[in-house]
Amino acid sequence: MIINRIVLDSLPQYRQVLQAIVLSNEVSSVWLPVAVGSGIALVLGLIILLTAKFFAVPVDDKLEKIKGILPGANCGACGFTGCEGYARSLAEGDSDTAKCPVGGVATAQELSSFLGLAAPDFTPKVAYMYCNGTTEHTSKRFEYSGTKSCAAAHSLFSGPNSCSYGCLGFGDCLEVCNFDAIYYEKGIIRINADNCTACGLCVKACPKNLISIIPKHKNTYAVQCRNKWPGAQTRKNCSVGCIGCRKCFKACEYGAITMDGPLAVIDHEKCTHCGACISECPTGAIHNGLPSFAGSWPSTGKPEEAVSS
Amino acid sequence: MKEMLIILFSAILVDNFVLSRFLGICPFLGVSKNLKTAMGMSFAVLAVMVMASAITWPVFNLLLAPNGLSYLQTVIFILVIASLVQIIETVLKKAIPSLYQSLGIYLPLITTNCAILGAAILNIDNEYTFLQSIANSLGAGLGFMLALFIFAGVRSKVDHADVPKFMKGLPITLVSAALVSISFFGFKGLIEKLFG
Repeated sequence: MIINRIVLDSLPQYRQVLQAIVLSNEVSSVWLPVAVGSGIALVLGLIILLTAKFFAVPVDDKLEKIKGILPGANCGACGFTGCEGYARSLAEGDSDTAKCPVGGVATAQELSSFLGLAAPDFTPKVAYMYCNGTTEHTSKRFEYSGTKSCAAAHSLFSGPNSCSYGCLGFGDCLEVCNFDAIYYEKGIIRINADNCTACGLCVKACPKNLISIIPKHKNTYAVQCRNKWPGAQTRKNCSVGCIGCRKCFKACEYGAITMDGPLAVIDHEKCTHCGACISECPTGAIHNGLPSFAGSWPSTGKPEEAVSS
Repeated sequence: MKEMLIILFSAILVDNFVLSRFLGICPFLGVSKNLKTAMGMSFAVLAVMVMASAITWPVFNLLLAPNGLSYLQTVIFILVIASLVQIIETVLKKAIPSLYQSLGIYLPLITTNCAILGAAILNIDNEYTFLQSIANSLGAGLGFMLALFIFAGVRSKVDHADVPKFMKGLPITLVSAALVSISFFGFKGLIEKLFG
């Protein structure tokens, strides 16, 4: 009572209010909203509890564990919408554990042992860019001052490059790469094979269709060109383009090189990495090895200068 | 029936929740980046809005108003709507998993959405009957959907435009939202012409 008196005396301005609440007959007016509020909360709480009990969904911990094994890059290289999609497919009985290029061999093995399957036949893959048309080898047809994007530049007369099949170097692929595997070098982009996980996002991003996913081999041989012009026109516009002379085609003993019109194409599955083609190439369009950092890429493509990492 | 139609169409076009009443601006700006997210969000809002009105109307008119507790409506409504969304989510997860997947994260996001609460409170303020409240919230939800769809289209156009650097991002989004909002003022007087 003493405390009550002190409070009432020290706060004269609230005296009336406090008195009204504490002393008057209207006490019930405080308790009614409290009762209604807590009553509603209690009822709702009970309903939530009951629905949670009756509508409980058994959580599939297998799915969660598979998701834990997958790298979580959500790149979509496996062909599903993301890691979640692939995990669900695996949980539902898909037996192909080698679909994730990001996780590589380790993930494939871990998935197989978790699911009790035989170890998968996993071939590491890598994205390869089929153009070597740096500023040293090509020129510009016009000054392009539009949006700095390959897709935009490509839509304007196939872009400013002298070779309309070549890399534009605005880096649409670099934008989408989640693994820091793409770098600029002399006006074009290159793919760092050490960082590349072959997720394939850059393949879709390139408007020139210059990037492909190929089997990863430190001695990869490839004609680093994708132009379909006749040889003379290629020579005029790029000093390292494939001119379709068929020398490598004749040099290859394993049938790994085919002619796609005026363009030589090396089949990476059939290639035995013998290197017979590379010394035949008059323009140095054939390259050996995979780029891994700026300056690591041979410009001539001759075997003795090639980086064999 | 005519009155219901008037309420429905004025909620969609004239008193559009987003563009005329400026309620629910947060999801309007947040998920209108593309049509897919806009669709998920607006269907979730539509469903919750109608159900919330169906629950809050009896709660107010049978429980709060007779006991002179009208001033508690905001607190109680938020409580009711949040619980309702929680219950819907639990039920959907079990009953219709595919719908739960597509509504996904949007359901919990709208528990305390001001558009939902706004619809519930406006029903009370306008002294609508139960069916009128349902019509009003249905119209509000459809209006929200319409606004989101239109704006998703506008935004994908703006994305490709050459915007000055200082206007990039949110500023240009707000300016284009204002323009869309102005265009909706063209519907003023439409309802009288249609039904009057």
